[in-house]
Amino acid sequence: MPNRSIQPPIHKITRLDLPEPRRHRLDNGIQVLENRLGTQDILKMEIIFRAGRPFELKQLAGRATATMLREGTQNRTAADIAETFDFYGGTFTIPVNLDVSNITLYCLSRHFESLLPVVADLITEPAFPERELQSFVDRSVKRLSVDLSRNDIIAYRAITENIFGSDHCYGYNSTPDTYLGLDRSMLTDHFQRAFTAANCSIVISGKTNDRTISLLNTYLGHRLPKGERIEANVGTVNRKAEKQHIDHPDKVQSAIRIGRQLFTRHHADYAGMYVLNTILGGYFGSRLMNNIREDKGYTYNIYSAMDPMVFDGYFYIGTEVGKDLANAAIDEIYSEIRRLQEEPVGTEELEMVRNYLMGNLLTMLDGPFNVADVIRTIETDGLKPDFFRSLTNTVSTISSEELQVLARKYLNESDMWEVVVG
Amino acid sequence: MRGINLLSQAYTVISYHKHTLPNGLRVIIHEDESTPMVAVNVLYNVGARDESPDKTGFAHLFEHLMFGGSANIPDFDEPIQKAGGENNAFTNNDVTNFYDVLPAENLETALWLESDRMLSLNFSEQVLEVQRKVVLEEFNETCINQPYGDVWHHLADLAYKVHPYRWPTIGKVPKHVEDATIEDVRDFFYKFYRPNNAILVVAGNVKNDEAVCQVEKWFGEIPAGETQDRRLPQEPPQTKLQQRINEANVPVDALYMAFHTSSRMDESYYTTDLISDILGNGPSSRLYRGLLKEQRLVNSIDCYLTGSMDPGLLIVEGRPADGVSLEQLEEIIWTELDQLRNESLSPRELEKVKNKLESTHEFSESNILNKAMNLAFYELLGDIELVNEEINHYRRITAEGIQQTARKILTRENCSTLYYRAKQQEV
Repeated sequence: MPNRSIQPPIHKITRLDLPEPRRHRLDNGIQVLENRLGTQDILKMEIIFRAGRPFELKQLAGRATATMLREGTQNRTAADIAETFDFYGGTFTIPVNLDVSNITLYCLSRHFESLLPVVADLITEPAFPERELQSFVDRSVKRLSVDLSRNDIIAYRAITENIFGSDHCYGYNSTPDTYLGLDRSMLTDHFQRAFTAANCSIVISGKTNDRTISLLNTYLGHRLPKGERIEANVGTVNRKAEKQHIDHPDKVQSAIRIGRQLFTRHHADYAGMYVLNTILGGYFGSRLMNNIREDKGYTYNIYSAMDPMVFDGYFYIGTEVGKDLANAAIDEIYSEIRRLQEEPVGTEELEMVRNYLMGNLLTMLDGPFNVADVIRTIETDGLKPDFFRSLTNTVSTISSEELQVLARKYLNESDMWEVVVG
Repeated sequence: MRGINLLSQAYTVISYHKHTLPNGLRVIIHEDESTPMVAVNVLYNVGARDESPDKTGFAHLFEHLMFGGSANIPDFDEPIQKAGGENNAFTNNDVTNFYDVLPAENLETALWLESDRMLSLNFSEQVLEVQRKVVLEEFNETCINQPYGDVWHHLADLAYKVHPYRWPTIGKVPKHVEDATIEDVRDFFYKFYRPNNAILVVAGNVKNDEAVCQVEKWFGEIPAGETQDRRLPQEPPQTKLQQRINEANVPVDALYMAFHTSSRMDESYYTTDLISDILGNGPSSRLYRGLLKEQRLVNSIDCYLTGSMDPGLLIVEGRPADGVSLEQLEEIIWTELDQLRNESLSPRELEKVKNKLESTHEFSESNILNKAMNLAFYELLGDIELVNEEINHYRRITAEGIQQTARKILTRENCSTLYYRAKQQEV
């Protein structure tokens, strides 16, 4: 009979190496990062344009332009485009990203050649039909009205707007008026400025080969105009944190968000805060979860998160709790923060968090698409190639004292915006 | 465009080793050297359908309790995190499924943890009390605080009259969860959480021999329980249209139509699945293209199967555009459904939905946890080889088969319709 009272010996992960992507340059200068990995006949292509919020002249122009790409080109109707993607079993998607337009295709590698010409049409000669734009606006306004009946969404919108300000590219929220104010010329302007080779890079991963790259050159290396690299317009943040309560009478729960401006992945304290955030609320065994869910049962879920963008970043804590428990939950949140500031994290807990994070970082290297996500982040954020290695170094070596210094520096209640909805 | 046969292409075959321990635990090992990780998946053959009607939501509450400490281990999460892993679980109408993903060298920690909670829980009153509160907050967060959050309560209740699918997994009412006692917990555990009622899958960078050895070491001594003979009341065929109107504080109206379908093991499941794809999967699907993009009668539209083991439902749900009533939307949807009943599918459309399925299949097999869950589920269905064979069931489907199944399923008599109306705003 095995001894059940002690954990079997565990092997520690001591070293993680991000596979080096192959680098190519298309004839018009676009950089391609190829990540040739994996066992299945599948691939993922991301065509990344500097075309998100920091590069907009009008609010929402980035999102609207990207969404409308698939709604028709000079030679293809929206219906033809949709049918072709579906027929070859491909998925064309543009995941939400504040900084870039990330034109993404998933497909079986053997159908790449059939789908690439369609993608190339979408990003070189979109038609932006008026009728489709109108429809996009109508549906977006409706979706917004559904979203605004959810107090978790109201709270999320309020905290980011509070932190950055409503004119800031990371702070503004969509409103019915911004949607209704969109006109076709804003989209064509944005498209012409941003969707050029000078603002573009490509990450392709999975089962690829030399032909994959030569196809990219044929379809994208020649057709996308060179254009000029556009500059970001980010705006400044200089705001004093406040507490805000937003009424939402019908709801049984309150949505709570507590947060502050933080920094990008370039900051010297990024890796340390990555560890500190995990301890506070970044995994199932975190202090917020243990206290507020597992000990008190106030909520189904509570977390803290760092959201680093290319030009700025923020940190926040979020949860939904019964209305009568909101104040008690907020008190517990601040008491967990103070505990991090006042007492060094114990050796055993820190050891657990290190191991957990190393396992997590290993998962990021599992399979071609996970690796591609890391490579894309390094590329779009303009990070040094050793970013991943230095992150794992910090995870393995940061001390309790250093974490306590970070907690005192970045987690002060007086710097925190607080939003309670409901 | 030229007609091409994309379906004759090779696809990845999943190999596996199957063993049964003397205590009845079924063990599946899948070796995959391409990943540094291992996934351990433990499926218990118990779900919300096994609850008694006055104690609904219990299977799901029980899932929470499985993390509250076992015979020899006070906390489930800490050791797995120490081993660099993550874990979670889900409950549905049919099964309760637990999983752990961790670096392959640390497989034994997952086996130690999973076997100890299969051996026995600690049956702590305090854990029960906290998790009751957590689950009630989950009920609030997902069913009450969300617009349309209680729709599944209405639909299940409308479509099922006798089968236990008539209540949702989270529970019919919060009261049932509030009333759960430690005796209920103990009974449930010894009835359902036994090795002979479970399937264990180990998938990842492991060797079959070594993995089996470790599994025998940790699970071999757990005593078997009594064999469970599941006798659920089967839903009689529906004979007339079911309708309900629900008014609530939501921003826009919504329409739900639910059609009874076959069980998961029936051959017509595959045809029904393709029907739901034709109607609602992807930007070129009929409802999305026709109603949302071309005619602009809806702001959102979807079609999907519940995929349950006993006879399930095909659901169509949509939110009408401004100026379109729920009655009008329902009529338009019937027009689309009637077209599927009355006109044969073009060869290209048939090929399209099959291609899409093939692609989805290939992508799902690129993830180790997915593979582990699939293997467990197919073993539960009674034919693990379906993990490789299922795609052939789809390939055999013809346009005639689709029309036949559409004629059988997409009828008024077989439909339950829910009008979810936005209350008029008070000024």
